[in-house]
Amino acid sequence: MSDLNRSGEPVDPRRLVVLSAVFSLLFLWYSGYLLYLQLVKGVEFKAKAAGISRQTTVIPAQRGEIYDRTMSIPLVLNNESFAVDLIPAELPAALRDTFFSKLALILDRQQDDLRKRISPSEYHLYQAIEIAESVPYDKVASIAERIDEFPGVAWHVKPKRNYLETGSIAHVIGYVGNITREEYKVLYNKGYGTGDVIGKSGIEKQYDSILRGKDGREYRTVDVKGRKILQSDRMIDPPIPGQNIVLTIDRKIQLVAEKALGPRMGSVVVLKPATGEVLAMVSYPWYNPNLFGDVNASKEYLQILNDPNTPLLNRTIQSSYPPASTFKAVMATGILGEGKFPAEKKVLCPGEISYGDRIFRCWIKRPGHGYLDLRGAIAQSCDVYFWTVMRDYVGIERMVSYARDFGLGQISGIDLPGELSGFVPTPKWKENKFHERWLGGDTMNMSIGQGYMLVTPLQLANVYALIVNGGVVYKPHVLKEVRDAANGALVKRVVPEALFTAPFDKEDIRLVRSYLREVVTTGTARYSAPAKAVQVAGKTGTAEVGLADRWHSWFVGFGPYDAKDPEDVIVVVVMTEASNPWEWWTPFASAIIFQSVFADQTFEEAVDALGISNAAIERRNKVE
Amino acid sequence: MPSIRKTLSEMDWFIVAATFSLVVVGILFIYSSGVTSEGVLVSGEYLKQAIWAVTGILLMLVFAVFDYQRLRDYTFVIYAVFIVILVYTRLFGRLVNGAKSWIGVGELGIQPSEFVKLVVILFLANYLESSRQSTGGLRRFLTAFGIVSIPMGLVLVQPDFGTALVFIPIFIVMAFVAGTDSKYVAFFVLSMLITSLLTVLPLYERIIARHRIPLLFVFYEKPYSYIVLGAAFAVFALALSGYRFFREKYYAGIAFASALMLISGFASMAAHAVLKEYQIMRLIVFLDPSVDKLGSGWNILQSITAIGSGGIFGKGYLHGTQSHYRYLPQQSTDFIFSIIAEEWGFIGSAFVFACFILILWRCFVIMRAVKDRYAAYIVAGIMGMLAFHFMINVGMTMGIMPITGIPLYFLSYGGSSLWSIMSAMGMVLGISTRRFRS
Repeated sequence: MSDLNRSGEPVDPRRLVVLSAVFSLLFLWYSGYLLYLQLVKGVEFKAKAAGISRQTTVIPAQRGEIYDRTMSIPLVLNNESFAVDLIPAELPAALRDTFFSKLALILDRQQDDLRKRISPSEYHLYQAIEIAESVPYDKVASIAERIDEFPGVAWHVKPKRNYLETGSIAHVIGYVGNITREEYKVLYNKGYGTGDVIGKSGIEKQYDSILRGKDGREYRTVDVKGRKILQSDRMIDPPIPGQNIVLTIDRKIQLVAEKALGPRMGSVVVLKPATGEVLAMVSYPWYNPNLFGDVNASKEYLQILNDPNTPLLNRTIQSSYPPASTFKAVMATGILGEGKFPAEKKVLCPGEISYGDRIFRCWIKRPGHGYLDLRGAIAQSCDVYFWTVMRDYVGIERMVSYARDFGLGQISGIDLPGELSGFVPTPKWKENKFHERWLGGDTMNMSIGQGYMLVTPLQLANVYALIVNGGVVYKPHVLKEVRDAANGALVKRVVPEALFTAPFDKEDIRLVRSYLREVVTTGTARYSAPAKAVQVAGKTGTAEVGLADRWHSWFVGFGPYDAKDPEDVIVVVVMTEASNPWEWWTPFASAIIFQSVFADQTFEEAVDALGISNAAIERRNKVE
Repeated sequence: MPSIRKTLSEMDWFIVAATFSLVVVGILFIYSSGVTSEGVLVSGEYLKQAIWAVTGILLMLVFAVFDYQRLRDYTFVIYAVFIVILVYTRLFGRLVNGAKSWIGVGELGIQPSEFVKLVVILFLANYLESSRQSTGGLRRFLTAFGIVSIPMGLVLVQPDFGTALVFIPIFIVMAFVAGTDSKYVAFFVLSMLITSLLTVLPLYERIIARHRIPLLFVFYEKPYSYIVLGAAFAVFALALSGYRFFREKYYAGIAFASALMLISGFASMAAHAVLKEYQIMRLIVFLDPSVDKLGSGWNILQSITAIGSGGIFGKGYLHGTQSHYRYLPQQSTDFIFSIIAEEWGFIGSAFVFACFILILWRCFVIMRAVKDRYAAYIVAGIMGMLAFHFMINVGMTMGIMPITGIPLYFLSYGGSSLWSIMSAMGMVLGISTRRFRS
């Protein structure tokens, strides 16, 4: 066929002939097949439609179990339990009232709780709707005995998640729940069904696809009323169980950290800087994840949701605070890196300095710290030193750059949902936001970790991990291994992954480490932070939040300071919020954790070994 | 511009009659799908559809009276605007069934992809007409494909695979009618076919056939697939240079075949990289619905049972047993044909077939009669679109085409698709009344 159209007509008629031939063939094929379906096979299909049909039941896959790093006993298991379904259209309207009252009696539930699961517009549906969960076997059995009284009722196995450990680990593990309409819309393409159980937070959400497995199916031939007619004609597609997860969390350290923090609004992170493994992650207050699966606990659930102390919040990654003096380690690296102000040169701290129309007061009153070099300024946490040097010799642009090099203002990418990125302010940001210029006073505020700067406790742990590692930060993670549910074989092991490497001089970092050691030996934390079992280095921090006599309090430490093997080192961050009555507790809490980890002691033994008396715990004075 | 009276008097009444019949049947069966087996009406979809039908008829009238030539200078602008709308939809659209294909406020919303098809037809017709003598054959063909592939890609990433697919027959039919070299068209059609075969092959062997078809693994298993592609490239280069020097016809034939292999191989590799396994699975499950009885295979099995049990005369309007949402979830949209076939039997389905055939036949007549190429190309595009929707949707309900979830025009519940096909029919009517103008 030629591409030229010699006939002068707009469309080559031969092409139209070809096209109509193709169309005709297609329609012939379709009409023929329709004829075949409706005429030749019609009788057969009629019998099929009227008589027997295949019924499919879902056999749920066991959700994977969750272990801590020692893999001794599981943290999370599944309990056998059933869910009762109703096919609404099979329940005659006239029987509804008696039906629900009888069912409620058997199941020992409120009639209304069952009824409200089916909205009036759904009473015509032939899809099974779940009306009760966590039903024990004996109750299902008694329904089965009287099935004639319960038209449209069916049941299926629905394992109930059982969280054995109900303490602070809740924030790491999270909890599961029925998939919501919104979640289903988003996950529609990923093989989720409307009645599925899905991870809602923590590990359960992050690794839902690993834990959930794949539901199996059972096919049976049934008559129109859904009664089985042929026992032999049963086909089973076995379910594939979800895989087990081993966490990096050490349950012993987790428990000690939980007790060391005590009933104080705040959080603890214990991190292994050599790998990025999180050994403990505590956020107070926590919640009991079992309440989410319990039908009789809806009141408790509402209480959790409306609690002003937000127990659902994982404060280690979902809250950010001013880092206060703990940020001075970052600034010290900046001073050394810039090299414009020698570390040995001294600055006079008279207790207060005036700048602009404001007086800046160091935390110690007049006559102040006297003459201090960088080492002394870190050890004594002198504000005047950092105000002067950062403002006059480093400047805001470089400070922002150092903060970013330490990973601040960016999420760490930990494998838990909902992490905050914290915040590093810049002059440009301030101008856009408040239409005000960035002033020298802002620079001074930021140099001591106050003002607009925000970090999460995990980010701060990373800052000190960088100092321990000499520049590298490994991506923090809580997943250690994935293991086969049946035989425990290793499926996947998480390999440490470098998150970033900061461009700092190794010698500068070593110096900063030695300054931080001095904080604990001769400086602000000398009475509170030393653990007996190990040499610790670290930094205190007390952030003003605008409340009188209330401060956020930090202690971040690492040890052993003199470690031969970098694998031995841990970083501990303890943070208590200003909402607690003031007490200088964070360095003590950290000391207890270090003592317990390195002397292999329980919380109580560690407290005894350190001689922390009630008096010390009760101390209420501000020291920094 | 002809008056409204003139338009009405010269209107193609076959198309009008077929269109109205289909729309009415559609509303009847959307009503039927909303009735339970106890005879209780539970869905108001039929009312909405009736409102859309009335507004759709107005749209049809507007497009019939309005001179399609007046739009011609603006086709590029309209095209560009719709590309922007598609990008907006992808970014900020409403998430429905895992795809961002809707925009709108509250209850009101439209699917821009439905209208983009028409816009592409108009712009492509304009390009094909104006480039008829000036541009070289291959360049014209490729540019035309480019015009189609931008909106197609944007619909594909929504992701709405079915709707994206419709652009291909629109392009093929229009390019063919517009007189592009039939070798290019053949190459394109063949490469599409081979690509889709290669794409579904591994999953087909594993899940449906449950055995390996001898030797075919060389096309998808590394490193053999690379070797095959390398060989195809070498043969192609050799044959091409052979053709350059000797001008022998069979060198051209070899080059054609090896290029086909090369392009399809690459395209199927790309498809494997982009498509997830469950997506491919959905495309081939119709070959053996029993492999996924609870998932998409269930719909197919129920739909076939519904159609087959309808027999010659059907079970009677509102008396279907398989339908009425009992077994088919998307009764009023994707599976509207199976409820017609169940309740009205072969007689009713044949009537639906006849209406579609009538419209397509009139399209051929108009293309033959019309003096204006631009108009002929528009009709070609609309025809390709209509026929493809029919084949894919009805084929799906009968279990001989993959599940892609594209609606059956005129009948399926949905405002966007009804409006767009009514507008298209209006254009065809307008072209028909002006057919003697050159």
